[in-house]
Amino acid sequence: MIAYALLFPAIAFLILFMFYPVVNVIVMSFFTLDMLGRFKAFLGIGNYQLLFGDVKFWEILTRTVVWTVVGVLVKTVVGMIYALLLNIKFKGRKIARTLLIIPWAAPVPISAILFLWVYNYDFGLLNHTLRLIGISNPPLWLAYTKTAFIAALYVDIWIGIPFMAVVFLAGLQAIPDELYDAAAIDGAGVFNKLRYITLPLIRPVLIVATLLSAFWTFNDFSVIWILTRGGPIDTTDILITWIYKNYFVYYKPAIAAAAGTVTFVILLVFSLLYARFYFKEE
Amino acid sequence: MLDFILRRSDLRRSLNLKMIMYIVLAVMLAISLFPFLVTLITSLKDVSEVYTSPPTWIPVKSTFKNYREVFERYPMARYFLNSFIIAIGATLLNAAFSIPAAYATARLRFRGKKFFMYLLLMVQMFSPIIIIIALFRQMSIFGLLNSYLGLILVNAVFTLSFSIWMLSAYFLNVPFEVEEAAMIDGCNRFQAIVKILIPLAMPGLTATMIYTFITAWNEFVFALTFTTTPEMRPLTVGLYSFVGRWSVQWQYITTASILGIVPIVLLFMLVEKQLMSGLMGGAIKG
Repeated sequence: MIAYALLFPAIAFLILFMFYPVVNVIVMSFFTLDMLGRFKAFLGIGNYQLLFGDVKFWEILTRTVVWTVVGVLVKTVVGMIYALLLNIKFKGRKIARTLLIIPWAAPVPISAILFLWVYNYDFGLLNHTLRLIGISNPPLWLAYTKTAFIAALYVDIWIGIPFMAVVFLAGLQAIPDELYDAAAIDGAGVFNKLRYITLPLIRPVLIVATLLSAFWTFNDFSVIWILTRGGPIDTTDILITWIYKNYFVYYKPAIAAAAGTVTFVILLVFSLLYARFYFKEE
Repeated sequence: MLDFILRRSDLRRSLNLKMIMYIVLAVMLAISLFPFLVTLITSLKDVSEVYTSPPTWIPVKSTFKNYREVFERYPMARYFLNSFIIAIGATLLNAAFSIPAAYATARLRFRGKKFFMYLLLMVQMFSPIIIIIALFRQMSIFGLLNSYLGLILVNAVFTLSFSIWMLSAYFLNVPFEVEEAAMIDGCNRFQAIVKILIPLAMPGLTATMIYTFITAWNEFVFALTFTTTPEMRPLTVGLYSFVGRWSVQWQYITTASILGIVPIVLLFMLVEKQLMSGLMGGAIKG
């Protein structure tokens, strides 16, 4: 009984501010709504028919998949390179690790704002550097569809790399040297050691980190919103920003609710997997 | 040849490899820190030098006057104050909810505990954006739009599941026998918690609270959506509102950013290891 009394405040607030709104969004998606999101009449699956019939939705879903997959892939690869480098004993290793995590530690919205300055066409030091190394006509980064998407994705990746690096490093350091020594005695080369010792042993770390990273990448609202607001003309929107825009900018709350429900289901799959692997090793 | 990567041996054997390793790492870190370097440099420049093309790497005449002027020209002090009120409020509220809940999960037996822990883990993956489209109307009905209380509540709740999760693990690390002994000596349960458990779990509790503070300080989308007047904006949204204007004064934005980043980065460094093990669970031991 005491247990439930102690849990009550936490559970009450989770229900009020998390579960109830989610249920509300799901319910909203089956109704017609006025511009402010108030219920008008039951509709059934009409909003979903509208959503799935919209070419734009599929474009944005595809873009979200590209955004997430490319983002996570690059973060994983670069993070692993960092981890392998920092796994070597050398002078200044601690300093390097500290410097490495700064982009993760800094407030994401502020970093995103700073990239507006970095990407500035006339006065930005990025284009200045590019001109110096011979690219005489660097792009107006955030003005064109393709470059804006790449520029935004770069920022997301840049923020996400340190977490991967640090986690992989912890995974690598948990592998005892004796295993490598034993493998060496058995005549294993570097690649066999990687294949039969390193990879299997950091697999759990790899899976959990990748899932978390996928969730964060998928959900990265502030970077896109600050850099491009999903523009030019919605070409850098991913699901998350598009849902927000539909509700707060285009005043199409029913579409926002339907897309929100779809997104909720996608994220539910992520979270089920995460919970499974989180507990698995304990 | 590449063996040194897998074994944590040092690089005495090969000077060349060592050089390559240093160069690769230095280049990667330089690229990674480039934006902060640019920011720092810009914040030290005079306006006239900020808007010169081509831009300069080293300020011709470095000056700290932006650091004074940014407080005179913009409501920076107010933004910092707002962020601070919201983050502190959220941290305290979060602690008030999560300490009892974490105690229950760590020390007491009850039906549905496993389910509850599982649920907490999954709640961490709820997207704020999905919730916000229903929460906005809810907040306006409760009269919580454009108020500290509204943002404090939302930030406290959104960090709650992770806090309970982390704290529960820290409480489990404190041997129950110590509390038992205190209770036999005449402490009641409440006294045992306040006098024994909390002091012993203090490092973990501090880390959890610092992390909550940082998360609330960095929060963007709730603050963007729930504040309607400039004087209620926290730093993140306040800075963003500078950018939306016709003439963006980058010497001030970069200055304000440095001031907003440095304390948070330092705090983050304190709790980074605990945060990592909290996020990774059984996948990382120790």
